[in-house]
Amino acid sequence: MSALICEVVYRGIFQKNLAARIVRGIVLSARKSERWGIAFGRYGDSPQRNGIPAKDFAIVADTKEELEQNMARYEPKHVDVTICVDDTLSKGVESWAWYGLQPINRLTVPNGTVLMTSLQPFDALLKDIHKKDAPYKLSLIRAKASFSGLWVYKEDHTEVRILGALAKIAPSFLTLDAVAEAIKEMEWGSELKVASARKAFDRMETREVKITEGNPEVPYAFQMPKWWEMREGVTIPAIPIGKPKEGGQGYVPERNPYFKKFSTRTMRPVIDFDTCVKCNLCWIACPDSVFDVMPDGTFDANMEACCGCGVCEAVCPVEDCITMVNESAFDDNASQWEAWRKDKAGYKTWLGAKIGDKKTTVRSHGFRFRGQYDEEIKHDLDSGGVEITAGIPGENADRKTV
Amino acid sequence: MAETTFGNATQVLEPFRGIKKVTLEEYFTSGHRTCQGCESALVMKLMVKAAGPRTIVLGSTGCMYVANTTYYTTPWVVPWMHTQLGSSGSAALGTAAGLKALMRKGKMKAEPINVIAFCGDGGGADMGLGAISATLTHKEYNSLILLYDNESYANTDIQLSGMTPYGAHTTFSPPGKVHRLIHKRWKKNVAGLMAAGHPECRYVATVCASYAVEMMNKVRRALTIGGPTFIHSLDPCPKGWDYDPMLSHELGELAIETGIFPLYEVEDGVVKYYGKTKAIVEGRPRKPVRDYLLKQGRFAHFTEEDLAYFQEKVDQQWEQWEIPGVVPFRKLDAAQAALNVK
Repeated sequence: MSALICEVVYRGIFQKNLAARIVRGIVLSARKSERWGIAFGRYGDSPQRNGIPAKDFAIVADTKEELEQNMARYEPKHVDVTICVDDTLSKGVESWAWYGLQPINRLTVPNGTVLMTSLQPFDALLKDIHKKDAPYKLSLIRAKASFSGLWVYKEDHTEVRILGALAKIAPSFLTLDAVAEAIKEMEWGSELKVASARKAFDRMETREVKITEGNPEVPYAFQMPKWWEMREGVTIPAIPIGKPKEGGQGYVPERNPYFKKFSTRTMRPVIDFDTCVKCNLCWIACPDSVFDVMPDGTFDANMEACCGCGVCEAVCPVEDCITMVNESAFDDNASQWEAWRKDKAGYKTWLGAKIGDKKTTVRSHGFRFRGQYDEEIKHDLDSGGVEITAGIPGENADRKTV
Repeated sequence: MAETTFGNATQVLEPFRGIKKVTLEEYFTSGHRTCQGCESALVMKLMVKAAGPRTIVLGSTGCMYVANTTYYTTPWVVPWMHTQLGSSGSAALGTAAGLKALMRKGKMKAEPINVIAFCGDGGGADMGLGAISATLTHKEYNSLILLYDNESYANTDIQLSGMTPYGAHTTFSPPGKVHRLIHKRWKKNVAGLMAAGHPECRYVATVCASYAVEMMNKVRRALTIGGPTFIHSLDPCPKGWDYDPMLSHELGELAIETGIFPLYEVEDGVVKYYGKTKAIVEGRPRKPVRDYLLKQGRFAHFTEEDLAYFQEKVDQQWEQWEIPGVVPFRKLDAAQAALNVK
């Protein structure tokens, strides 16, 4: 008698269909080995928003009774396998106001597994993933995060590769043959996809993580208000008006103190303050009021508020003045403007290093033109037959706008 | 204005003369849970930036309520209140009337306060249409109703609304193998409807946040002119339209340049086109609609035939309407009139 509980942590909307396919695939694969299962989303994540982290769950049990026992809970408090389909989530997850930062391995049981799609080495990921008070395994599938949208799906085999890897992690619940059988039956299944699943089974890399390893930072948290502290009419205080940056110059708005966007982004803007022409376009076009006005008339992107949409890069008229860079390339959320003010030459070197390798760092955020996904995938299929191993590095690197 | 006889005075908000003159202060700030690249959040920001600090905002249910004010937190600097899905019109009227009564009775300092009620296309153009229409007949109360139109019930994961464009993929209209297009109705012309049907409403405008300064100036004009006013904003929605959020700004521009969404204001019955729409009216060629449609996943299933139909309908609104892009009436041509006489 036992059960396998999995969570899939993903980017809202961008990976909604991917996550749904994974959890459904888990349940149907388990059914092929005569087990019972259920797949469901986290209630609190709905309605989903582009990029805001969300979760789906899959529970598989030996008997129906045991499945019911697990379903009696609102949602799993402990999971055997945490599946994470975007490696920037290794920095933690914050999905709503008051949640604070939740480490990616928070629900993983001792000696459980965190399964992630990533091109980063183990050590780079463990710089981001928070320390845990129990040992666990980190398993990697070498792939770039698969992003698409609500309607058009990117058939890059990520879902079957996760299922193939899971067959290796939990063979007593999902055998590789059962996974293959389930994939074939899916309306999105194919022989090619079965081959991809089998490859992932062989190629998954795993490393034990000791309790001494990981990011030592204490995740930030907020004090939730008690019901008796709420005011009449459930009113809440407005956000105060902002202040000048310094010496009566510039402007820094106040922000919602209980919801930060650190974990919402997969890219962040880096700014060349030397080439900025102070046109104000990024500042006016930003839906999140990210750009603090500096005393010299340039704009500093505040990382507490930025969700990484990239509109600022799209509207910026100066080449390489605002560049979106993969969030994995950063260790902190410090002010770029302050760094630039302190050491202009040093900042230039830092900036060059961040934006220089655009081809490998850039990320796709979904649909830009019809036929785009087919083009990207064809490129990979052409170069390696059925093998889809490394995602699609550099996709759209040269396309700033369509 | 005298304190005892508070009339219909409004704040006089001069237009911003260029992007450098725009006020720095934010009255709708960060920390909301909208999508990456949410154009509607930008509309909120620009709307209150234009209106200034002496403003009350009311919001009917929709993304801009649920995503913004998450679990007992807020990004609003000015007072904001939620109202029910179909009641942005009633809330605007009631708030404006309430303020006026309090000022008349001396319970509140007499001063012009902007009242803005916003609604999505579901809350405004579908459910709330009647209430908005009623509000636009009450000329003694100053209120602005802003419709932020992302062309679906986006908050609840993209159901079809009366404002969803022809053929678009939504939760309610998935393209299938037998029926490629499920949604075959043409979008409502709400700004035209409001302008044509409400003689007491002195100002109706259409805006797009991709043209931020012009958009803010239309809000300022509406608040300055007073009485009930209406603004329709087209907001590209990365979630429901299915595109890379980076393209929000560009898709807004394309909607105007293809002539799908005309920019105009109707002040005291006079139609005035502005921005790129003005250029189109003056003869500049429109971009083909496919440039706009095929950048969005919701139209990815379109065939050449569908694209041609869409183009034809947009051409009609420019070539056949009595007031192009605004009012879909046509005058009888001479030959047709002669036939009718017989």
